[in-house]
Amino acid sequence: MAVRYADQLDRTFHALGDRSRRQMLSAIRRKGACSAGQLAALFDSAQQTTSKHLKVLEEAGLVARSVEGRHHIFTLRPDRMSQAQVWLEHHLQFWRGSLDQLDNLLDELQQPKGPRK
Amino acid sequence: MTDLPAYVLEREFAAPPLLVWRTWTEPALLARWYGPNVETIIHRLDVTPGGLWLNEMKMRGQSAFQRTEFLEVDRPRRLVALMASADAQWNIVASPMMPDWPRILLTEVTFQPKNGGTHMRLVWTPHDASPAEIACFKAAMDSMGKGWGSGMVVLAELLEELKRAE
Repeated sequence: MAVRYADQLDRTFHALGDRSRRQMLSAIRRKGACSAGQLAALFDSAQQTTSKHLKVLEEAGLVARSVEGRHHIFTLRPDRMSQAQVWLEHHLQFWRGSLDQLDNLLDELQQPKGPRK
Repeated sequence: MTDLPAYVLEREFAAPPLLVWRTWTEPALLARWYGPNVETIIHRLDVTPGGLWLNEMKMRGQSAFQRTEFLEVDRPRRLVALMASADAQWNIVASPMMPDWPRILLTEVTFQPKNGGTHMRLVWTPHDASPAEIACFKAAMDSMGKGWGSGMVVLAELLEELKRAE
């Protein structure tokens, strides 16, 4: 389980580490759904390049592909992720962020007070 | 009670338990760390059984309210409280965005001395929860093991940033 988590995270960050792919995600998000052709036209790139990027995004689980005839339509997977899970993550992010701040505060409170140089 | 899903968060701090306890129970200190990147205003903090902590967090011109009722106070070892989202009048409300998320979470935090520092353990359990709320919390717990976790939040936040930058 722990190994799977690391792989998944690696794939996610690899997918997001490319600007073109991030732009594609943004476009899909704006429009709700895009075909591979639409994305290629939008970014003025070759169909093959776009397809490669989409495959990386799909393997990272960031987009879902549905085939309609000759068209491959892409939607953003976060919309289909468990809402409860995303909510839990927000809850945890809140606490982790708070506890980071607590860590800093505790360091500060334990600084010896005295004349500064 | 024993069958309720529970989430456990543990953390170590390089500070003695009594100091950590103070940061949780003194308003001037609590306001400084509770709520990442938000302005925290503590309207009331009465750390006794039955006492209330009424908390407001301001972000981007909006306020979020939280009502916490202490159940057990065992200085400096243990705090047990019921934490809930609230409206501006401090009535407990469900989150409009996630109505099945447990409105009230039983929150237990313990501070154990460890190697000169403190081992803190936080446990959340749905309280007085409906079957839907319990199912929602349990679904969230179960999906944690499937490896999406923080990656998803990173993505959600990244996409928000992209949206803002457009």
